[in-house]
Amino acid sequence: MSDRKDIAKKEEKSIEKTRELRSAIPTVDIYENDNEILLHADMPGVNKKDISVNIDNGTLSLSGVRRFDNKGVSKWEEFSDVEYVRSFSVPQSIDVERVEAELKDGVLKLHLPKSEVAKPKMIEIKAV
Amino acid sequence: MFTGISEIDRMFGAMDLLRNRMDRLFNDFDGSSLYAPAFTLTSNSPRTNFLENGDNFEVQAEVPGISKHDLNIKIQGNYLEISGKRIVDTPDGYKIHRNERGGSTFSRSFTLPADVDAEKVEAMMKDGILYLKLPKSETAKPKQITIN
Repeated sequence: MSDRKDIAKKEEKSIEKTRELRSAIPTVDIYENDNEILLHADMPGVNKKDISVNIDNGTLSLSGVRRFDNKGVSKWEEFSDVEYVRSFSVPQSIDVERVEAELKDGVLKLHLPKSEVAKPKMIEIKAV
Repeated sequence: MFTGISEIDRMFGAMDLLRNRMDRLFNDFDGSSLYAPAFTLTSNSPRTNFLENGDNFEVQAEVPGISKHDLNIKIQGNYLEISGKRIVDTPDGYKIHRNERGGSTFSRSFTLPADVDAEKVEAMMKDGILYLKLPKSETAKPKQITIN
């Protein structure tokens, strides 16, 4: 009986559990004019340095983390630490180099300029 | 003998799995509103947190896109009212593709557990969150009584 297994499962190892960071979908408004696409996203409580905006292969992904450092006894809690995550498809004609983002009062404003012309690029083949 | 134990083991394993899933389900149910987006077209008043911290109460409210000029805070004794308006305007010359963020006027009032000193209340706005620090008034603080 040397290889007898524990019948009862061990309790999960971590004694102190930190609260899992949940993800939430920020609400957005999307506008467009001749020059650009404009995106406004509500991200209250997220610091500028905790936001990342990625544009890759036609996908724009937003991520913003907020954490509260609350001390004291909580009587009620209606909002908490969260990671705001959302992705969008953006047309290839967006000029990624000139994308601008600003954060004011918990609202992320993203300017996505359309490129003037889709410039074809010449690729030079090097002789080895 | 061996097969018997491994079967029991497997059974417990399956039960654990089920329990974990149920836990997750209940967590989602309990906590869903904690992680929901802030202002939407359907919910139009800010969510708040309330903390008691020694001699202070702390109130936090989610107010994205609201400037401090559009917020009013009123305090009287143990009554607190936060009201304001959120303006969501379409920028000039743009057409709308998607409109999820809702503008609204709102008002929320609270009865605090004790009177606060309205003169010493501090209010701060940071990244779309309003932080209120409400010191309890002298009469509401606990007092040491000496026995003669």
